[in-house]
Amino acid sequence: MAEVFIDGIRYEYEGEHRLLQFIQDLGKEVPFFCYHPSMSAPANCRQCMVKVGQPVKDRETGEYELDENGERVIRWFPKLQTSCNIMIADGMVVHTQETDDLVKRAQKDNLELILINHPLDCPICDQAGECPLQIQTYKYGPEGSRFEVKKVHKPKRVQLGPRVILDAERCINCTRCVRFTDEISKTHQLTITSRGDKNYPIAAPGREFDDPYSLNTVDLCPVGALTSADFRFKARVWEMNQTPSIDVTNAKGSNIDLWTRDNLVLRITPRYNGEVNDHWMPDEGREAYRLFNENRVSKPRQKLDNEQVNSSWNNAVATLLEQLEGVDKQDVAIIGSPHASVEENYILGKFASLMGMNQPVFTSQIEKGKGDGFLITDDLAPNANGCRLLGFEEKDSKSIAAIVKKARVVLLLSDHLVDRGVLSAENLADTFVAVFATNHSETTKLANLVVPITCAAEHAASYVNIDGRIQRTFPAKETKYTNRRLDFEMSEGRLDRYGTSFDNWITEDNKVDCMPLWRFMSSLAEESGLENFSLSSGREIMEEISELVPAFEGVSYEVMDEQAGILLQGVSKTVKS
Amino acid sequence: MTYEFTKEDLDEIERIKAKFPEVKPATLPVLWVAQNRFGHVEPEVQRLVAETLGLPESHVHGVATFYTQYYKEKKGKYVLDVCTCLSCQLCGGYDILHHLEDKLGITKGETTDDGIFTLNEVECLGACGYAPMLQITNDHYVNYLTKEKVDKLIDDLKEDKLPDYEKIEMPLRKVK
Repeated sequence: MAEVFIDGIRYEYEGEHRLLQFIQDLGKEVPFFCYHPSMSAPANCRQCMVKVGQPVKDRETGEYELDENGERVIRWFPKLQTSCNIMIADGMVVHTQETDDLVKRAQKDNLELILINHPLDCPICDQAGECPLQIQTYKYGPEGSRFEVKKVHKPKRVQLGPRVILDAERCINCTRCVRFTDEISKTHQLTITSRGDKNYPIAAPGREFDDPYSLNTVDLCPVGALTSADFRFKARVWEMNQTPSIDVTNAKGSNIDLWTRDNLVLRITPRYNGEVNDHWMPDEGREAYRLFNENRVSKPRQKLDNEQVNSSWNNAVATLLEQLEGVDKQDVAIIGSPHASVEENYILGKFASLMGMNQPVFTSQIEKGKGDGFLITDDLAPNANGCRLLGFEEKDSKSIAAIVKKARVVLLLSDHLVDRGVLSAENLADTFVAVFATNHSETTKLANLVVPITCAAEHAASYVNIDGRIQRTFPAKETKYTNRRLDFEMSEGRLDRYGTSFDNWITEDNKVDCMPLWRFMSSLAEESGLENFSLSSGREIMEEISELVPAFEGVSYEVMDEQAGILLQGVSKTVKS
Repeated sequence: MTYEFTKEDLDEIERIKAKFPEVKPATLPVLWVAQNRFGHVEPEVQRLVAETLGLPESHVHGVATFYTQYYKEKKGKYVLDVCTCLSCQLCGGYDILHHLEDKLGITKGETTDDGIFTLNEVECLGACGYAPMLQITNDHYVNYLTKEKVDKLIDDLKEDKLPDYEKIEMPLRKVK
């Protein structure tokens, strides 16, 4: 097998590898800025310098030449090489900064060069704390700069597009953003303007950087040159918790991280999943943080004398039960939701079958022509396939309206059907409508009972994406009834750990008074005398689903976590992209 | 103002495109075609070039801004690039520059009100042997400058009389 020697240790390899990536995959480190595993390697930051050599071979015999000690004779490359664009070859000998002083010196000097015109404004820079330039300067950089004259000034606070702001002085011209628009989003909107120490990335004059994937450049930027217009100056990185989750704004199910502080989701960034979204996510998905924070239904609401008022949980259970018992079982319509998780839909279906009611139906939310074949889909809901796999019947808007008209009690799971135009106010006029919802909407306004349920940022639940991959979320923000310190799936940041309710950085109001649907349904089932219904967590429900529903066989949270989602069989694509 | 290539320009662009396996390398020569036609490559002209070649606007903008000899804004009819790099400087490049500034009533980087002259200070133009010198609109070199020569040049240019191309022999090294 082919071999390569890195810092004196022999490694075997197969196939083709870029040297830098190979070193990283070994868990070792070489500093770099411009390289990105999903894009081309122009080697223009010059930071990943290493010393590389090949053993000398006798051309006639094909044997390696040996010196007097019996060691292979190495012919070194005349200069240090950038490891990002060099492919490893059989017998190659590599020295990184760990074993070669020249390499160490080269990296240090390169950092000094990069920092010549870089404003040292880390204290007010959004990137501080997650800044490769900052980290690598600490690790490999010089102690100080020998540059004593005035730095070059460039434009600051340039609004490149609706979502991205440029600070050209911080830019180190790695061209990652330019390559992103050229190679990944293919809008070709950015370029490097000017040259020498005056260059920086910009869109063509008079054009906006309005790429639907533009915010990925903010994540890519190895310095604070590109910042998100929305997240700018909102929080320091080290004050936030990072919780893995799934994008619920379309059917692709891009893997994301939710960044929370004081139980507010402050930003959303993509998380690597080679099978789904690689390193990227659409800008729209990042807007979803508002859904998790703002306009939330907190406390059950009930219509009394045609006016919705706050109610109690006990009251909500009793009212709903009273309504369900007062009508014939066939007069209850249960509507599942492609916007809710597999677990929530399942629990609704389970309740229906145990009570002898009609199985839930659902209607998917498709916007034709929205999809782009990449990470944006026509389907605006994250879990239509999950509903299909649970055996829910898919209906068009007309039949849904007809079902609702006929029914006397309607249970509606977090799907804003009135806002979507599937139902009208008239359809709901003569029926008792109970809505399980995360956010206020026109639909909840019309409901007789609104039960606040947890959103994707507050519970662990799974979603089946457009390709049939089931992936799950983790609870990121607390509700009134959860606690970070008791729930081992929740991450705990510095502020959470050391804050108390008497601190001014802890706000009790940010915790929503809502419950997971399964907890509410369990109380409802208990009150109505159903036995063996109680399921207390998404994990438990998924265990039951995988036992009972053939499509979900072998699915569990453990396997999902291990394999970054499970591809389910038997999913037919109904929407193209 | 909208810019358009003439029929001849478009033919020329087709000829340029045929020289390369891809369109991208045609950016530079086509920008020259545009600058020769319009006298500059303002953003609207860059856009025209991008559309004509079917390339991203950002790419053309990046190329145009990289090279100083593409004029990204309107310039005078004659752009005088006065060299003040080492050899010219030693032989009086700055004297020439300042003389021109006084004569034209502008400072370097500016254009006269009548739109005839733009004065620039530039780095080495590779004519150290005939210093001090200046270049007219990326084309004619005027060498061995003196104040009188500059005065005459300005008068000639006002009458649209461009100096002849000059051929200067390099002094031969004596071979022993």
